[in-house]
Amino acid sequence: MNRWKFTLLAGLCAATLASGFGNAALAGKLEDVLQRGKLIVGTGVGNPPWHFRDEKGDMAGFDVDVAKIVAKGLFGDDTKIEYVNQASDARIPNLVTDKVDITCQFMTVTAERAQQVNFTIPYYREGVGLMMTAGGKYKSRDEMKAAGAGVTVSVLQNVYAEEMVHYALPEAKVDQYESVDLMYQALNSGRADAAATDMSSLQWFMKQNPGKYVDGGYGWNPQTYSCAVKRGDQDFLNFVNIAFREALTGVEFGTYSKSFEMWFGVKPPEPKVGFPEELR
Amino acid sequence: MEHFLHELWIARWALAQGLLLTVEISAASILCGSLIGLLAGIGLTYGKWPLRLPIRAAVDSIRGIPVLVLILASFYLLTFAGINLTAVESGLFALSIFCGAHMGEIIRGALQSIPVTQIDAGRAIGLTFPKILIYVLIPQAMRQIMPVWVNTGAELVKASTLLSVIGTGELLLRTQEIVGRNFMTLEFYALCGFLYFLINSVIERLGKFASRRFALQ
Repeated sequence: MNRWKFTLLAGLCAATLASGFGNAALAGKLEDVLQRGKLIVGTGVGNPPWHFRDEKGDMAGFDVDVAKIVAKGLFGDDTKIEYVNQASDARIPNLVTDKVDITCQFMTVTAERAQQVNFTIPYYREGVGLMMTAGGKYKSRDEMKAAGAGVTVSVLQNVYAEEMVHYALPEAKVDQYESVDLMYQALNSGRADAAATDMSSLQWFMKQNPGKYVDGGYGWNPQTYSCAVKRGDQDFLNFVNIAFREALTGVEFGTYSKSFEMWFGVKPPEPKVGFPEELR
Repeated sequence: MEHFLHELWIARWALAQGLLLTVEISAASILCGSLIGLLAGIGLTYGKWPLRLPIRAAVDSIRGIPVLVLILASFYLLTFAGINLTAVESGLFALSIFCGAHMGEIIRGALQSIPVTQIDAGRAIGLTFPKILIYVLIPQAMRQIMPVWVNTGAELVKASTLLSVIGTGELLLRTQEIVGRNFMTLEFYALCGFLYFLINSVIERLGKFASRRFALQ
């Protein structure tokens, strides 16, 4: 481990020297970004309502809106963002190798990940739900649980995927897919009896295809979503945290609230005026 | 069908951009790769061992690594050497050296198949070695190189789809973006496959046309 760290450090030193702008690199991320005039945001493209390209070809979704809050805080202009398209497994590597300033890509906060990147304060709490085709073999989670090992569930590729499905359906067979559209395709083609994924994505999809699908009527597995920045720059992390805190509780709440309602169909609870409740 | 045409109309610019980038990246890396391959092939065939050895090592190691790994390495590993390439740049780099290594081996094979007496004949009429290469050896080698070159070109176009993993907005990634929005998986992937087929049939046509140029009458 020590040797690896040494190699990494030596590589980084060489990188700093070779790039010839040692001073700029020492000044800190916040200064770098301000000087550059745009924020480089790492996010995905194929997962509405989180991050996707809308019909005009612009980036849209809740993750994108959250990134815009940071850009607005930096430059007073939420369009000064360069999006770097990354797969879920590139979220941490792209931060570590400075390909992006910040990653906002429905990233679940875990202690293991926190050893590799710095997480900001959370902006959403997700849960998992089940979705079946309307008129399909099973109508609810209870029916599927009773059917036991005969049930196949399609799910987005994830380290915790098996464990996650088995919490709700202990005997079900779990098929993992690389993207949400493939997962839904498995459900449509009958390869899977149900799709298990984030409640937000299911709700969004059911809204787009009214009458074609049914909700399994069960939600579980809370997970916290945060943006992440490269480890070791507390100053930049503080800045992003403040921008988010004020979006959740302060002057930017209107922006956050509008976006929340647009993607999830409900309004978030208003912050109470008077004593700052989050400190109680 | 009407629904598909409607979605296709909405997505037309995204698809056009992706197609353009795929063609650009493929063309550029075939060009760079062929140049690298030509130099490597000549070095491997006629170079002395201090030149041959490093080229051999490079060609063999690049050919032994999967393209996907080459692409990921150019994107992530080069950062630790102080070279921070964008997604498009690292894709171009990876595909060029991949193509170069393969072309090097193809060109070496073609050159070695030409009888040594041809070089002697060239010397006899007073040509220098570079001139022997240009006027005697390469034109004869081209006859063997052309069909394999076309094949490598087509392989490279297909390999360019792997750049989608590092976020290069080429045709496959654009298609994935569109499918991510409208969930018309089958239709848009079929269209995407058809477009790749079109690109490759154009390459094949061009290759046939060029092959005729070098054919024995």
